[in-house]
Amino acid sequence: MNKLLKLSRVNLSYNTDNNLINVLQDVSFEVDYTETISIVGESGSGKTSLIMLIGGLEKASSGKIQFKEFEISNLKEDQISEIRRKNIGIVFQSYYLIPNYTALENVSLTLEINKMQNPEQKAKEILDRFGLDQRLNNLPSQLSGGEQQRVAIARSIAMKPQLILADEPTGNLDSENSHLISKILFDYVNEEKASLIIVTHDNNLANQTKRKIIIKDGRIG
Amino acid sequence: MVELDNLANFKLYFKYALRDLSRSYSKILSIIVTLFISLFILSSILTVEDSLETELNNNSRLLLGGDIEIDYNRVEGNLKLVNEVKEFSTVSQMVEFSTMISTINKDNNKSSFTRVKSVDENYPLYGKVIFEPEDALDKLNKINNTILVNENIFKNLNLELNDTVKVQDKEFKVVGFVKSVPDIGGAFVFGDFALTGKKTIDTLNLRTLGSFLNYEYKARFNKSLSILEGSQKVEQLFKNEKRATIMYPGNSAGGLRRIIDNFSQFLSLVSISAMLIAGIGIANTLLSFINQKNSSIAIQKAIGIFSGNIKIIYYIQLAILLIIISVFSYGLSFFLLPFVDKFISEGLGLSIKAEFSLINYIKIFLVGLLVIGIFSIPTVNSIDQIKASSLFRNIFQSLQFRYSKFSIILSIILLILLISLFSFGYSRPIYSLFYFASFFFCLMVFFFLSRLTILFLKKNNSNFGIPLKVAIKNITQSKSITPITVMSLGLGITLLLTLAFVGSNFKREIAKSIPELAPDYFFLGIQKDQKYQFQKIIYNFDQKSKIEVVPMVSAKLAKINGVDPNTYIDQTNDSHWVIGNDRRVSWSESIPKDNPLVEGEWWNLTKPNQLQISLDSKVAKDFGIKLGDTFTLNIYGREIEGKVINFRLVDYRDLSINFAMLLNPQFAQTIPHEYLSTVKFDKKDNFKEIDFLNQFPSISIIKISDYLSKVTDVLNKVFIAVVIISTITVIIGLVVISSAIIVQGKIKIFQNLVFKILGFSKKEIIFSSIIEFIINFTSIILFSTLFAVIASKYVIENIFQLQWQFDFALFICVSLGAGLVTLLLIILTNLKYLSPKAYPLIRNE
Repeated sequence: MNKLLKLSRVNLSYNTDNNLINVLQDVSFEVDYTETISIVGESGSGKTSLIMLIGGLEKASSGKIQFKEFEISNLKEDQISEIRRKNIGIVFQSYYLIPNYTALENVSLTLEINKMQNPEQKAKEILDRFGLDQRLNNLPSQLSGGEQQRVAIARSIAMKPQLILADEPTGNLDSENSHLISKILFDYVNEEKASLIIVTHDNNLANQTKRKIIIKDGRIG
Repeated sequence: MVELDNLANFKLYFKYALRDLSRSYSKILSIIVTLFISLFILSSILTVEDSLETELNNNSRLLLGGDIEIDYNRVEGNLKLVNEVKEFSTVSQMVEFSTMISTINKDNNKSSFTRVKSVDENYPLYGKVIFEPEDALDKLNKINNTILVNENIFKNLNLELNDTVKVQDKEFKVVGFVKSVPDIGGAFVFGDFALTGKKTIDTLNLRTLGSFLNYEYKARFNKSLSILEGSQKVEQLFKNEKRATIMYPGNSAGGLRRIIDNFSQFLSLVSISAMLIAGIGIANTLLSFINQKNSSIAIQKAIGIFSGNIKIIYYIQLAILLIIISVFSYGLSFFLLPFVDKFISEGLGLSIKAEFSLINYIKIFLVGLLVIGIFSIPTVNSIDQIKASSLFRNIFQSLQFRYSKFSIILSIILLILLISLFSFGYSRPIYSLFYFASFFFCLMVFFFLSRLTILFLKKNNSNFGIPLKVAIKNITQSKSITPITVMSLGLGITLLLTLAFVGSNFKREIAKSIPELAPDYFFLGIQKDQKYQFQKIIYNFDQKSKIEVVPMVSAKLAKINGVDPNTYIDQTNDSHWVIGNDRRVSWSESIPKDNPLVEGEWWNLTKPNQLQISLDSKVAKDFGIKLGDTFTLNIYGREIEGKVINFRLVDYRDLSINFAMLLNPQFAQTIPHEYLSTVKFDKKDNFKEIDFLNQFPSISIIKISDYLSKVTDVLNKVFIAVVIISTITVIIGLVVISSAIIVQGKIKIFQNLVFKILGFSKKEIIFSSIIEFIINFTSIILFSTLFAVIASKYVIENIFQLQWQFDFALFICVSLGAGLVTLLLIILTNLKYLSPKAYPLIRNE
């Protein structure tokens, strides 16, 4: 069976003040289509670095990362952007909405740059589904943390990506909002038969995934 | 891959750009303000220049006074040929001459050196003479010995209608005054003038060599004849008439066109300085703007927008801004025209109107585009430094200007284009190139000065008090505004000080030094038989007066080595005046004491029958003349060939008798001539003009002080315009500094909050700002003064050939004024950061 994602002996290291810091060492694993994975580990273990590499936001120092048929470790920045734009949705702990764009504009931006028809209408439908129909024209600063994260998820799934990368999506939220956000994410994965890789400290959230990857000192344990 | 290769993509990015701009314009207000001010100055200069050019072109026939002019200079024209011209046109004959007009029967009689135009009934062929009262112009040719003086003479001589004035030895009745004539040019542009009837020449018996006579025949072709046909007919008729020069409408007001071109070239250079200073601010504000958008850009990158396309969004924003601001500033410059028109119509009788010029707009837009391009390329390129991965770490690094090989080459190409646009669009590109070279040299020096200051203070920051330590820390921190302050204020103050020094030196020389050196009076038109009597009378007025009398003859330099110099020497040549028209030449037995010989031998006495010429060495250099070259001089219609045998260093600044060309006396004294004299009185008050004119009515007197005061008047107006524009460059510099402080706002608030928590008082914070300013301003003023001294000394001593002096009072005024305004602005801009609220900062909001 074809794999959605395949990491082979991936290493990531930084050079600071002539010291080599090995962030990730010999990381190898595969992700199937529709699979949900949680990555857990202590702070500084390399969880976030790992999903940055998967999302093509950082370049691995060595090793191979294959996403579908693309060997992304060999691609240029714009080519990776193109793949990410159509196939990967990213959810951040700090939401990261464009501050001077309304909720609707933040979501329709993704659809517009992918040349979708009626981007605003589609963005509105998604936000309606997430219970934000009354907040469409609000700026991020006028939304609560939970609302902002819902808009951020709406933005990340607007293009129906095959893979969702979520970095501590509930890290800044209370338990009620955390529950709502995890429900939205898993509902999407189930409905659209997508895959989810989630970095979390939240055991409840991690337990909802099919597989758990534990990472320690940059190595998969 | 989705590239920006179709209209749909462009529309999308245009939409984002417009959205960003409409929501963030307040953050880039300083870009808008500086770009607007600098483009408005440029627009105003181009609009006024273009309107003047259009006015001159539209009225070229008015300015010439006909479709064609046949100029005979000092001799009466060939009337047979002129009558033939009358067969296909209307001809207006006129004679211009210079003379004295003096009042009689007044308690305090006065006189004035005047250019008189004696006109016939057909005058003017085009346009209107504006005069009062209504029938005054008709009276000139109906009633003998009547005169219309210009408004200035009318006021200065306290004239009233029907007063009698003396013109040479004849009495004329003042029948009115003239406000303006359509055919301005030569002395009629700035000097005093009068109109008389056609019989005046006979009445005054002005057949002598003096009085700077000029016979002109102007023709307006019959309607059945096109201008081209008429011109060809005239050329055919006069092709063998060597004494006549044919002038066309395109030649009209050449001097005025040259002045406008030179002045607008200078002002354009000052305005481009303002634009370049604005460019520094644009780069800084734009970098801050992109820094503020750091996370938004990272998000855009995270969702898959290419870095290149994000940059395109920012370039589109700048382009939108530029289009709006350039249209607005160009449109607004039209409102300036009524004020300029009022000034010009009073002085020149021209009436300028606003007229849209697409070429001018494109030029303004292009200049803005080039400046924005040069300064925004490394700024917008900083977007490449933003990484989407920052979103995971929540850490955003401050962006820096990003120079790639490509961006450096592109910026240099744009800069060359900008310099070319301002250099080769004018008649003297070398001056512009020199100006740009100096500008960029100063910019580099100020930049290195700021780095040097930072380096020095970093190494010497130990045993000082707290306010000084804080000030030094502000200067040396990585986000310091020191480089921007030093560069923008340094360039602005250098420009202002240079122009102020040039202005003050020029005015001082005109008001004091030149009158001390120069003679008090010039006496023109002294005939051979009057020479002895003239000297005697002058000594009667003042025994100790110094008199210099030299022979003088009019000659036109017709050919250089057999070729008409007008065919290859254009008006941009500094010495063009030597070949433009008839020039006065003289002769001398010995080398004039203030005209030292620099090359060649004085007269060769073995060849008394051959014309030998001594030439001004500057003219020789400008024309590329070598010793032994042949000049053909046209003297009273006769062409005589002579050889250039030596070059003299002629110093015109003492306003004494100086000639570009001197002839060998053995040959020249056979030519009919008159004398020119200068007199410097020991006691000027002893000389009575009216008494002198009673004895020598045909001699004209030019009082040097009158002319110097006229020059001062014109210069004052010119310097007001120049100082206003150079002050605007300082204002732009201040806006740039102010925006740089605002850009620092967040750091300032945080810093001041920490100070507040530590118990630092507001007074101490303000005091540290003042110390910071004093440190920066001291280095700025030192270098600005140095550059201003070098530049103004060069201009005064080499271009104007006057004496330069350091004006300490002016230096104090300009530097203190600029310093206080800057300090005030810095304190005012900093005030709002002085009382930060602790709560939002502590909560990281």
